[in-house]
Amino acid sequence: MSEHRAWRGYLVAGVAVAAATLLGVALGQRASLADEAMLYALAILIAALSGRGPGLVAAGLSIGAFDFFFVDPRYTLDVSDPRFLITFAVMFAAGVAIGGLTSRLRAAEAASRDREQRTAALLSFTRDATGASDRAGVVRAVVTHLRETLGVEVTVGAGLPLEITPVEADDDRRQFVDAIGRQATIAIEKLQLAEAAREAELAVSTEKLRTALLSAVSHDLRTPLAVITGLASTLRETAPASEHESLDMIVAEGGRLGRIVENLLAVTKVEAGATPRREWVPIEELVGAALERLAPTLGDRKITVDIRGDAVGHIDPVLGELLLANLLDNASKHAPDAPIDLAARRDGTGIIVEVADRGPGLPPGTEHRVFERFFRATHHDNGVGLGLAVCRGITTAHAGTIEAKNRDGGGAVFRVRIPDAAPLPKFDVESA
Amino acid sequence: MTSSAVLVVEDDRSMRKYLRGALEAHNYAVTEAGSLAEANTATAAQSFAAVLLDLGLPDGDGLTLVRAMRAAASTIPVIVISARQREDDKVDALDAGANDYLTKPFGTRELLARIRVALRHATQPASDDPVIRIGPFVIDRARHEVLVNGDVVHLTPIEFGILALLARHAGKVITHGQLLSEIWGPRGKEQTHYLRVHVAALRRKVEQDPTRPRWLTTEQGVGYRLRDE
Repeated sequence: MSEHRAWRGYLVAGVAVAAATLLGVALGQRASLADEAMLYALAILIAALSGRGPGLVAAGLSIGAFDFFFVDPRYTLDVSDPRFLITFAVMFAAGVAIGGLTSRLRAAEAASRDREQRTAALLSFTRDATGASDRAGVVRAVVTHLRETLGVEVTVGAGLPLEITPVEADDDRRQFVDAIGRQATIAIEKLQLAEAAREAELAVSTEKLRTALLSAVSHDLRTPLAVITGLASTLRETAPASEHESLDMIVAEGGRLGRIVENLLAVTKVEAGATPRREWVPIEELVGAALERLAPTLGDRKITVDIRGDAVGHIDPVLGELLLANLLDNASKHAPDAPIDLAARRDGTGIIVEVADRGPGLPPGTEHRVFERFFRATHHDNGVGLGLAVCRGITTAHAGTIEAKNRDGGGAVFRVRIPDAAPLPKFDVESA
Repeated sequence: MTSSAVLVVEDDRSMRKYLRGALEAHNYAVTEAGSLAEANTATAAQSFAAVLLDLGLPDGDGLTLVRAMRAAASTIPVIVISARQREDDKVDALDAGANDYLTKPFGTRELLARIRVALRHATQPASDDPVIRIGPFVIDRARHEVLVNGDVVHLTPIEFGILALLARHAGKVITHGQLLSEIWGPRGKEQTHYLRVHVAALRRKVEQDPTRPRWLTTEQGVGYRLRDE
């Protein structure tokens, strides 16, 4: 296109000089030499409007034609009067100056047109990029816009800020690509911020929902439960002996339901990331409280407890009691009528508690699965399989370990280790 | 037998009905209130021997009633009966001036026992007798001596202090905070772990099986109680 225009500029130069020459010849003696020079000046001006090159060519041609046709001696390129050299110089200078100015003007105009186009392209890109709903959308906009504007196929890196390859050699084009890259990076960062804000908001509302659900479960389940067990225990006071067993069962099952509610609350609490309130607690105290709580379930079951009197654990006492109660409850459920052995000891940097039974043991391959929520070893299991999941949740919250395995001589053993999270204080009980 | 008047503040109708039945069967005269406003009206009109108080009431937190009663120098025993099971809620209730705390669900026997303890403490405030007799224990506060089933048991001063304080309020839960400030003084707060270790040592001296305490029981996360029956 620009070649075509340049070629046309040179044509204009030739035609303009030829026209000036013909006009001058036609006018003959009626025009002075100065008039002829002015005609050529006009031709140079017209040609120079097409650019520096046509201006120069028109100036050269005009000097030649003027000298040949009009300056004595005519029809030679000789110059008899050196005065005309000044005319030639002015003609040449005019051609160069006007042509140069025009060229510069053209270039500036073209550059501003390019800038305008790129600004428009950048604006349209920004619109597309900010409208995109994810990173892939922004990257798609980058590729499409660079193809349309610069006619290049680019690839975009996976990181931030965006890396666009290949890198353009031309300064203007590279700057444009860089600008696109910056805009795209900003758009992606905005998307990421919005996403993070949305996630945070979701987490907060999930947490609110959880808390609301928990208090609903806690309150709305406990009050009717209290009415049922309360009425049953009141009825039992005056009921004939034949009905005692049924009424006792209502009370005991009500208590079990209460413990399930408590386990649900605990598992939700530890899974929500609540930090255990660790204290130094004698394990004996936790065992005592757990046995007291399970008294209606355990009845007169034989339980041997082997604890060194000074065995303390660094554990949340409320969660610790629940942990032990669940382990004991589990043992009593799976090994009915068999004795349960509970042992606890310190190993220097933590407390180890083992609860062992003489029941049927764990089916092979289920040693890890028993801690999954709602896992049941057999179809005859009662309970919702929440107890051991709570044990694992509480242990994990204390950065501890829990494992189950079969015991030599039959039965299962559950072993929990809770590591200390602080140096063991010195307990000097007797001198106090 | 003269009947004691008990105010039941509880918004659940079935729960109120159950409590009325259980209490009337044991010769208590029951007045029901379904809200804080009704409870305020009732306490203004009549004096009660005890109040059973639910915390989640439609027009506010039950604890505001306890605080108002204690601010007005009322010593009527208040037993909180609540579905809230967080230990902090229990400690808050006891710190606000409630005498005891029962978490739903609870058995009628337990409820009646708590009411009896509360009524006894109301009529004979913390025993100042030099010698306290509870179950197998004879605690001689003047001589700093403890007999269990007739045998002298050697206790450290702190162990004696714990046992004597629990015995003076026998049947009632005493919070960790109350025990610590009574025995160690104001600087004793936050020393719960020492308290636990001393209680464990005390149990080994006075209980037959310290892993199954018959008398000195743990209210997990709240405090201790010396049973009196």
